[in-house]
Amino acid sequence: MGNSISMAGYTFVVEEKKEISGEDLGLLQEKLLQLNWGVQHPASGPMRLKVWVDGDEVVKVDPDIGYVLRLLEKLVEYRTWINAIVNVERACFIDNFGTMTGYSIAAEKIAGVKVPKKADYVRTILCEGGRIVSHLIGLGSFIGVLGVHTPMQWALIAREKFLDAFEVYSGQRIATASIIPGGVRYEPTGKFIEKMVTAVDFLEKEFIPRYGEVFIDNPTLKLRSRGIGVVSREKAIDLGLAGPALRASGVASDMRKDYPYAAYGELDFRVVTKEEGDAYARYLVIWEELIESAKIIRQAIEGLPEGEWRTKFPVKVPPGEAYVNVEWARGCFGFHLVSDGGTGPYRLKMRAPSFANLWAMPEMMKNVKLADVPVIFASLYMCHGDIDR
Amino acid sequence: MLEEIKEKLKAEFGLDSEGYDTNMLLVVCEKNRLRDVVKFLKSNGFNYPHTVSVVDYTPKGEGFQVNYILENVLDKKFVMVRVNLPEDDLTVPTVSDIFPPLQPHEREAWEMFGVEFIGNPRLEVMILPEWAEGWFPLRKSYDFKKHRKPSKEKK
Repeated sequence: MGNSISMAGYTFVVEEKKEISGEDLGLLQEKLLQLNWGVQHPASGPMRLKVWVDGDEVVKVDPDIGYVLRLLEKLVEYRTWINAIVNVERACFIDNFGTMTGYSIAAEKIAGVKVPKKADYVRTILCEGGRIVSHLIGLGSFIGVLGVHTPMQWALIAREKFLDAFEVYSGQRIATASIIPGGVRYEPTGKFIEKMVTAVDFLEKEFIPRYGEVFIDNPTLKLRSRGIGVVSREKAIDLGLAGPALRASGVASDMRKDYPYAAYGELDFRVVTKEEGDAYARYLVIWEELIESAKIIRQAIEGLPEGEWRTKFPVKVPPGEAYVNVEWARGCFGFHLVSDGGTGPYRLKMRAPSFANLWAMPEMMKNVKLADVPVIFASLYMCHGDIDR
Repeated sequence: MLEEIKEKLKAEFGLDSEGYDTNMLLVVCEKNRLRDVVKFLKSNGFNYPHTVSVVDYTPKGEGFQVNYILENVLDKKFVMVRVNLPEDDLTVPTVSDIFPPLQPHEREAWEMFGVEFIGNPRLEVMILPEWAEGWFPLRKSYDFKKHRKPSKEKK
């Protein structure tokens, strides 16, 4: 009862005895302890890391996942081709446009449907809006795990403007169900474009200068995150990292550039890479991608063509399969879609970038200090809905 | 680039491959040659594994299909290696020692489909709860209704 550690809600499990040069250094240094980081930890989200520590040093990390399993891959098999988007977008609701776009492109490939150009541009605008919304939360929560919660509030203010635009477009702020096989679901009205421009204006003129001044070139943040969780270029590929984490190690892998889809082939943007490969580099990649995304939205709005925004998608799709990758906010999201000639998908396998990053994490967390566990965890920029699906 | 790989695969293993998509090649191989093919592809630049995707074709009488998707991140090309398994022998050698990132993907495929990856060091339930081990919920034969909790009105 008198133990303050157990009263704080932590459980320690004595794993094995370890001799340290014959000296009695007390309980913490004598034994390997298992520490539960999560499920209720504010920074972990609905997952648990079993962390084995030797004093202050992490010996081994084992993630325990599955707390938000919805079995989306199975649910999709019970839907029609168009209805399935409601399951696909829930892989992670924060950036729901990327997953819907990937699924739609895969379905269109099998069916042989060509999408109107306007739909491609609207998809691009929405995907980049989703990326900004997701990156804002990523930036905020990265500093959030270090104990400062102001940036998260600032990011949420900027995010609200984008959610307003999504609301005008689809009637929903978060799970919009707005991109379907055959195009996009609603007409991009003038009001939607206006709201989107307002949001991008706020982001570029208010949020980026203010946030950049305070929380990017920040000495305390640098002290805390530089040289933490360093992954070299070769190691990043070996570990199978995805998305911003891969680009922060100097691998220029971006599906938008490599295999252009939607309207990305016609727009001008830069793939952000960093060479350092530490937590701070991953944070900077997210930050610079945010700036790039705002530019892409402006270009896409400028070049928005006239015409139809959707075409007819057949009820029954001929047998076939496709593997399509899209650059989702958190990395390349792969869709292996199989059709058997029915009215809905026969099988959909989703390759989730957060899943890849999660299982690369135990290797990265070997022999770091316990206090660096949340920093590395947050810098990998994972989404739990995406890990469990 | 892909043409070159295609010819090499033909020369080395006598395997025919076909274009799956632009930028993507499909190789169908026997399971006893899987490890050699994957090793060969890794040494030829396909060093970034994407996933292991299992498709259940049992309702059509064709057993299971295991697809390994590998990417060449420098040249931006894909290869899909496909192994067909009969329904009564769901075993396939692991490639998790060649591609360590595929270990959790194999583990997921095992718990969802029951395909046993021989040599994988860690085939335990990961995403499913422990009590659901062996249910294989992504198989076509899995019956949702059987496992549904009865609702309060129907009790």
